[in-house]
Amino acid sequence: MKEYIVTVLARDRVGIVRDVASALAGIGGNITHVSQTVVRGYFTLILSVEMPDERTQLEIRQAVERRGAVGELEVNVMPFAAEPTCETGEAERFTLSMRGRDAPGLIARATGYLADNRINIEDVYAYVHGGEALILAQVAIPNSLDTEQVQAGLQEALEGFDVAAHLQHENIFRATNEIDPVLAL
Amino acid sequence: MKWVEDILQTVEMLQNEHLDVRAVNMGIDLFDCADRDIDRTCALIRQKIVRCASGLVRACESISRRYGIPIVNKRVAVSPIADVAAGHSIEDLIKVAVALDEAAADVGVDLIGGYSALVQKGMTESDKMLIESLPHVLSSTSRVCASVNAASTGAGINVDALLLLGRVWRETAERTADSDGFGCCKLSVFANIPEDNPFMAGAYKGIGEPETVINIGVSGPGVIKRAVERLVQSGRHCDLGSIAEEIKSTAFRVTRCGELIGREVAKALGASFGIVDLSLAPTTEVGDSVGEIFEAMGVRNVGGPGTTAALAMLNDAVKKGGAFASSSVGGLSGAFIPVAEDATLAKAAEAGHLSLEKLEAMTSVCSVGLDMIALPGDTSPETLAAIAMDELSIGVVNRKTTSVRLIPVPGKKAGDRAVFGGLFGESPVVPVPNGASDVFVRLGGRIPAPLVSLNN
Repeated sequence: MKEYIVTVLARDRVGIVRDVASALAGIGGNITHVSQTVVRGYFTLILSVEMPDERTQLEIRQAVERRGAVGELEVNVMPFAAEPTCETGEAERFTLSMRGRDAPGLIARATGYLADNRINIEDVYAYVHGGEALILAQVAIPNSLDTEQVQAGLQEALEGFDVAAHLQHENIFRATNEIDPVLAL
Repeated sequence: MKWVEDILQTVEMLQNEHLDVRAVNMGIDLFDCADRDIDRTCALIRQKIVRCASGLVRACESISRRYGIPIVNKRVAVSPIADVAAGHSIEDLIKVAVALDEAAADVGVDLIGGYSALVQKGMTESDKMLIESLPHVLSSTSRVCASVNAASTGAGINVDALLLLGRVWRETAERTADSDGFGCCKLSVFANIPEDNPFMAGAYKGIGEPETVINIGVSGPGVIKRAVERLVQSGRHCDLGSIAEEIKSTAFRVTRCGELIGREVAKALGASFGIVDLSLAPTTEVGDSVGEIFEAMGVRNVGGPGTTAALAMLNDAVKKGGAFASSSVGGLSGAFIPVAEDATLAKAAEAGHLSLEKLEAMTSVCSVGLDMIALPGDTSPETLAAIAMDELSIGVVNRKTTSVRLIPVPGKKAGDRAVFGGLFGESPVVPVPNGASDVFVRLGGRIPAPLVSLNN
């Protein structure tokens, strides 16, 4: 068996996941990981699938595309490579929250600072409503960095933007929002 | 999305609503420091406190930075000194107090508790001397806090001890008259004193506790107040049951933060983790007041009709949320109503809405008791003892902790203002109505333990 990563982008409608899953099953595929979300009415899906050795990337892509109307599903397929080892060494997870007035370049400035400091973004969620921006990101901060300095550096990097940025250790959110005892953290 | 709301609510608590860990208290056992030579005892005490707690402040600061949660007070509590230094003279006990004061300075904590005696059923010679030494100790040391357990449900009320304490309050206040009797702010007198209370002045390391133990006092009046305000202003249907539910879920979050920090500090110091005390401890800052929670609930004047019911509901909801959050809940665990330390309560007392009698009624449904109450400087020792007897009776009969922290402010009368400074705040001097009960109090002896069956 070979493993592939498949992404699908489309206008959202009922039944897209079913269509993609049945297309892959129809050519012998076994889905092992899925993540899906909808942003402003647009559906995005990323999944990992095991396929018989004889299947090609082209066959997989065409099988999925044929389940939608012409041009409806934008599909990409790439061979799975082994998960990268952590580039940042030992790291701890923090939640970064940024709130304030939306402005062009805000996300670029913030993520630029994170990248420059080898801070990996593992998950991100953002929206703008009424001119106010909210960005929440789960980031891995290398243990070699001082969190307070990162916080201060980020705020400095955002100078000129009317935005407050806060970093909090993920254990705070787990402790306050999960039922599992603190002992389990 | 729910998870986004959860994250934002936690961020809001941390950034804008005064959520902090109010006290990290390290309990240290001192019984292995007892020696016939008092100078050796003092040296051993100082060495042990420094050995166990020298990393306390640094560990708290490091963990506070890591989690972004302020830890306001770092403190130490020790075994009851009347027992540790039993068999010594009053001068020797004062030497121990000085050693504690110096050790606290060495490790960088602002207060050290445990200059204490447990006398609910009777006083040993050592207990009596410790109580008699209090005016000197509380006026000549800056960090030492004292407590006396003068009553319990199992033993009744030691009126002889309270009579002695009546004189101690007056003398301590006189000796610290230049700071409005501040020495009395460092003395709490209890019924049913908890062994694991992290809050001063009543913290001591209980005899049944481990060698070294970390107990945590969480905060959260500001967080609870904002949660109630948000609910009330949301436009959703909101009755008292829904307010109680909101308080409960907020208390869950607050408690979890406390336990997380407490376990990390204990791990860093190689100490046992003890408990999280759920008490809502106000400060003099606006937005961090228990009184403001009542106002958010719609109580027009704190102290007016409805206040006791609001407090009962608040206290119960906090306990329910906290008890679900952690199996390591202890200490006092209830709402504090220290008049001088809570700006809204102090204001209500000044306006005449919050009287001594109303405060006493309120303490029947919450923790602590008549806490930080400034009284006229000429209040007699017998009347001070009688006020304490009333308050401790509530604890004894209801099988709960109550305490008094009374300050007869020298030279001041009802309506004047007493200023203690810093976290101890300021408040008006409240009147003591209805005359004295000197004859009753002077009868002395012990009020027997109450019946604990036939409860109907």
